[in-house]
Amino acid sequence: MSATMAPTGDDLQQIAEQVWASYLDTDGEKPLIPLPPDKLSKDVVAGVAVRGAWHGLVLVACSATASKEAAAALLGMEADEVSEGDVDDALGELANVIGGNVKSLLPEPCTLGLPEVHNDAENDPWLAGDEICRFEATWMGEPMEVSVLEKPQGGETA
Amino acid sequence: MKILIADDSRVMRQIVTRTLRQAGYDGHDLIEAEDGAQLVEKANSDKFDLVLSDWNMPNMTGIEALRALRAGGNQTPFGFVTSEGTPEMRDTAAAGGALFLIAKPFTAEMFKEQLDSILG
Repeated sequence: MSATMAPTGDDLQQIAEQVWASYLDTDGEKPLIPLPPDKLSKDVVAGVAVRGAWHGLVLVACSATASKEAAAALLGMEADEVSEGDVDDALGELANVIGGNVKSLLPEPCTLGLPEVHNDAENDPWLAGDEICRFEATWMGEPMEVSVLEKPQGGETA
Repeated sequence: MKILIADDSRVMRQIVTRTLRQAGYDGHDLIEAEDGAQLVEKANSDKFDLVLSDWNMPNMTGIEALRALRAGGNQTPFGFVTSEGTPEMRDTAAAGGALFLIAKPFTAEMFKEQLDSILG
């Protein structure tokens, strides 16, 4: 990337671990394990766009099972009690919190968009871009991934 | 006391509610708003002791809502709870009249630090 500032996979790991400690693993029983899962999954992809001096997306991708567990952990419910709306809200908010923290590592001035949740990552034009960094983890035995994609200046992030 | 919690995410409104409880602020009357426009409407039609607001919301952002309140003479104590905690955001928040900015992810301790003087 052209700018001197660029987030790294280590930055993403640090941010994700803070988010998990605060919201998803408050009692230490559901740790985010920083080991690549056996198989990545993009069943649910939540992202926030960053626009301005830098253009791109901050994304959280996980399996359908992990997305339900995340919503349940955030809402203090059981996984079988959460609705599709709860899952979208929860994953969108995860992307928002991680995105806000990633934005502080990007060139200024930038603005953060509102979260979007996509359930069909294959051939999704919104998810096209150059990956700058990624953090892969395993959570509750399920794949969880945070990544940052850069888009060409003037490219479509909406 | 009456607290207005504004965030477009229901999940986050719930987490804020839970964190208030964990920080020891039980028994307060909590009212929710889903965006900045609702925040302004509710804050102007009722008397609140504190507004806790997200920054990025549809219809009207948190900072626009704060400026709208202050422009209309509403001086309700107002703090941000947002995913962006850069010095620039904090300066913008303070210039708009916010008392504090709590960055997500937050803890009950961070709530106590900022809210004890208001709710303690």
